[in-house]
Amino acid sequence: MDASPTSRAILSCSNMTCELDSVTGPLKILQDINFSIDTRRALGIVGESGAGKSMLVKAIMGIAPRGLRIAGKIELDGQDLSKLKPKDRRKLIGRRVGIVFQNPMTSLNPFVQIGQQIEEGGRIHLGLSHNEARRRAIELLNLVGIPDAADCYDYYPHQFSGGMKQRIMIAAALICEPDLLIADEATTALDVTVQKEVLDLLQNIQAERQMSMILVSHNLGVVAGRTDEILVLYGGNVVEYGPTAEVFRNPRHRYTEALLSAMPQMDQPAHTRLRTIPGQPPNLASRPKGCPFAPRCPAAQAICHDVMPDVSTGIEASHRFACHFPLSEISRLTPVEAAHVQ
Amino acid sequence: MTDIGNPLGLNPGPDAKLSEIVRAATPWSSKLRLSGGSVSDTVAAIFLVLLILVALFVDFIPGLVSPRLPYGDFSQLPDWSLNGLLGTDDIGRSIFSRVLYGARTSMMIVAISTTIALVAGLLLGMLAGYYRGYFERAVDLFANALAAMPSTLVVLAFVAVTGPSVITIIVVLGIFDIGTYARVAKAGVISQSNRDYVLAARAMGATDGRILLQEILPNLIPALTAVMPTLMAGLIITEGSLSFLGYGIPAPAPSWGGMIASSTDLLSRFPLLILGPVLAIVFTVYAFNTIGDYLAQRLNNRERES
Repeated sequence: MDASPTSRAILSCSNMTCELDSVTGPLKILQDINFSIDTRRALGIVGESGAGKSMLVKAIMGIAPRGLRIAGKIELDGQDLSKLKPKDRRKLIGRRVGIVFQNPMTSLNPFVQIGQQIEEGGRIHLGLSHNEARRRAIELLNLVGIPDAADCYDYYPHQFSGGMKQRIMIAAALICEPDLLIADEATTALDVTVQKEVLDLLQNIQAERQMSMILVSHNLGVVAGRTDEILVLYGGNVVEYGPTAEVFRNPRHRYTEALLSAMPQMDQPAHTRLRTIPGQPPNLASRPKGCPFAPRCPAAQAICHDVMPDVSTGIEASHRFACHFPLSEISRLTPVEAAHVQ
Repeated sequence: MTDIGNPLGLNPGPDAKLSEIVRAATPWSSKLRLSGGSVSDTVAAIFLVLLILVALFVDFIPGLVSPRLPYGDFSQLPDWSLNGLLGTDDIGRSIFSRVLYGARTSMMIVAISTTIALVAGLLLGMLAGYYRGYFERAVDLFANALAAMPSTLVVLAFVAVTGPSVITIIVVLGIFDIGTYARVAKAGVISQSNRDYVLAARAMGATDGRILLQEILPNLIPALTAVMPTLMAGLIITEGSLSFLGYGIPAPAPSWGGMIASSTDLLSRFPLLILGPVLAIVFTVYAFNTIGDYLAQRLNNRERES
């Protein structure tokens, strides 16, 4: 155990690139991904469908589809995953990282009792005995708010509702007491009220157990108040990355800005038309040479179509974005406005 | 206070547990009958259970004579005694006794051949579906080759070499069903292995063996249970045809096909001789197929619900 109270990186990706072969040639799914997440911090990864969010998570977890070539470095708690043997890698990830998938209807095995599904990780990695595993599974079921957990242990997934199943998934992800919990669109399939409950649960558990957490979502509202940093993906590239509050207050990349202004605002009159982004996300097979967002960008110039922008740094060094013509830095907001954005 | 009554007929009380409520809401009758099944499904199920009981315990039926020894005159008409229920055959053996003992022969062939086919087919099919590649192609080729060959002729060829023996028949029939089970298992594994729970298990660090046995295998059970009775019915038919051709179960042992074969010579004068074994085959095959359909429907529904 690391006794030092200072935070250190639990997971970091540097220059990570993923390619997948297709009939038309290699597809660049992810390009030059750089980020790191410290202990006890929460990172939000946002982007629209096809931006590469799930692929990023799967590449990290080592469950990417066959044929995905991963270049670059992924470090989990200081260990370079690509240098580990598959067996050791599986052990390390399985023990240290828990994951909750998008669709609770399909992420539980319909023919296995839920108690056993929760226990599985603990029995593999911690060598728990039958009784011990059962006790912990029931404890976790209680923790995630399943009523009379001891009875539910023997139930099958179809006996639960979607929100309950997602809670069960969270329990299963927690069995090894991971250092990092990844929620891959974990609440997307749930209705809004249940979504909030599950997100609050995740946030509480993260704080209580002092874990790190990655919240993957296409919904900015989901990550807004719940993450410390935010990573905006577009077409397989990181377009903006920085402290959540800073990115929300002061988006520099035009894609982030467009996403933010596509969100309904409480202070707008009802039935205000939301701003949309014209065009389609890039086709990975014919990826533009330059900035992936250039074809849809209102401020795109010739250079945007031809040259991939370098990563620049905002006022805060931790705020990074890749844009040739970033939005100008807004003057510091008054405290009232800042509170509103938070 | 308005009383809305108790529409579900439940009285959970203030601190009833969820599980108790669920249990109370499940009508007792649904635990007993073949739910969602028709009358013929229930009859078929009862028939098969009786058949299995007879196959297991036919030795202990009081008063039943040996199927191998003559018991009265040849070709006696049926009477109301236990052994005379279906009359006697061409050398005076009790047809009823021979039909019951024939059930044991048929069930034994079905059980052992199916076990061989199921174990080998599952193994090949699951590995082929999980690892794909050349092994999958090899398994496909094997399954297609088996499907292309008429099983009766191949068994005949084997029997011609080894002489009629129960073991040859059981093993060859078993091998013939491997292809079908392998295909069903392979298709199931392919459709399962990209499901989220398999990914979750892999992310959790489960080994391939654990994933195949604990995550995927339980999900193959519906498809396999649906296809199994149909293949079992096929085994009974094939065994019957082999015995009818004289290449099946060797002579004194009772088998339904053999009984039909030995009574064909006398068919024009004593048509009743053939009745017992024919009805036994027809009912058994019908029952297996009915149960197969029922299970396929039931288990599909259940999969969809979950």
